[in-house]
Amino acid sequence: MSLRGASAVLSRANRIKTKLQTALEATVLEVDDVSYQHAGHAAVKETSDKETHFNVKIVSPKFEGQSLVKRHRMVYDLLADELQSGLHALSIVAKTPHETTPSK
Amino acid sequence: MATSLSTIIFKGIASSRSFTTPLTRSCYSGMRHFTTVSNDPDTHDDFKPSNKLHNSNVSLSDVVEQDVKDNPVMLYMKGVPDFPQCGFSSLAVRVLKQYDVPLSARNILEDPELKNAVKTFSNWPTFPQIFIKGEFVGGSDIILNMHQTGELKEKLKDITSKQ
Repeated sequence: MSLRGASAVLSRANRIKTKLQTALEATVLEVDDVSYQHAGHAAVKETSDKETHFNVKIVSPKFEGQSLVKRHRMVYDLLADELQSGLHALSIVAKTPHETTPSK
Repeated sequence: MATSLSTIIFKGIASSRSFTTPLTRSCYSGMRHFTTVSNDPDTHDDFKPSNKLHNSNVSLSDVVEQDVKDNPVMLYMKGVPDFPQCGFSSLAVRVLKQYDVPLSARNILEDPELKNAVKTFSNWPTFPQIFIKGEFVGGSDIILNMHQTGELKEKLKDITSKQ
């Protein structure tokens, strides 16, 4: 991977943020590393990577008119490299600006 | 450390083909059998998927295709419904158990090849994966969301009423 140097410096959370922000023009983007909650479970055996599980909350106009499955697919597609390099699971909340109530 | 222990255990299972068959079968024992979901009076056929898994004549993608066709609620997960080995799989099972529908499941931790076949079939990178009436529904976030919006109840309605 040509970005290896940068990848080593930037945390996975930062890379995820950048990729999603750029492609989805997110108005809200929260990426939380929750890997510690899953440390040691059977399925993380194949990776020494510590950044395996993330909670992602995205509000993007690009989700407009898309089903949940489609929205999740969009996120997974953008993060294909990460998924191949040790990212194990994402918990995704994907909403459109219209779906978020302007409560504040 | 817990990590290394589970690594050893997992590798032990995955590397041994002879273990895989009984363990794969055991994943059906903790839940309703395929017999409960089929209208076919010949219940012998219902056990075919687990046999086919290791029959070299049938590709794993055919196994998956058959699974999702034969089972109104088909779950590919980490662990088994009564003992999920991942928080997300556990969540999916808990959501689906709110409904009176038969759950069919395969443990993808036991079979890396099956795991890849399912990923390719659905073009979805993570587990659990839930199929309802042959249709790919998504993972645990989506099933939880559908539960909360009432969409899941609607989707499972006719499965429940068949019971």
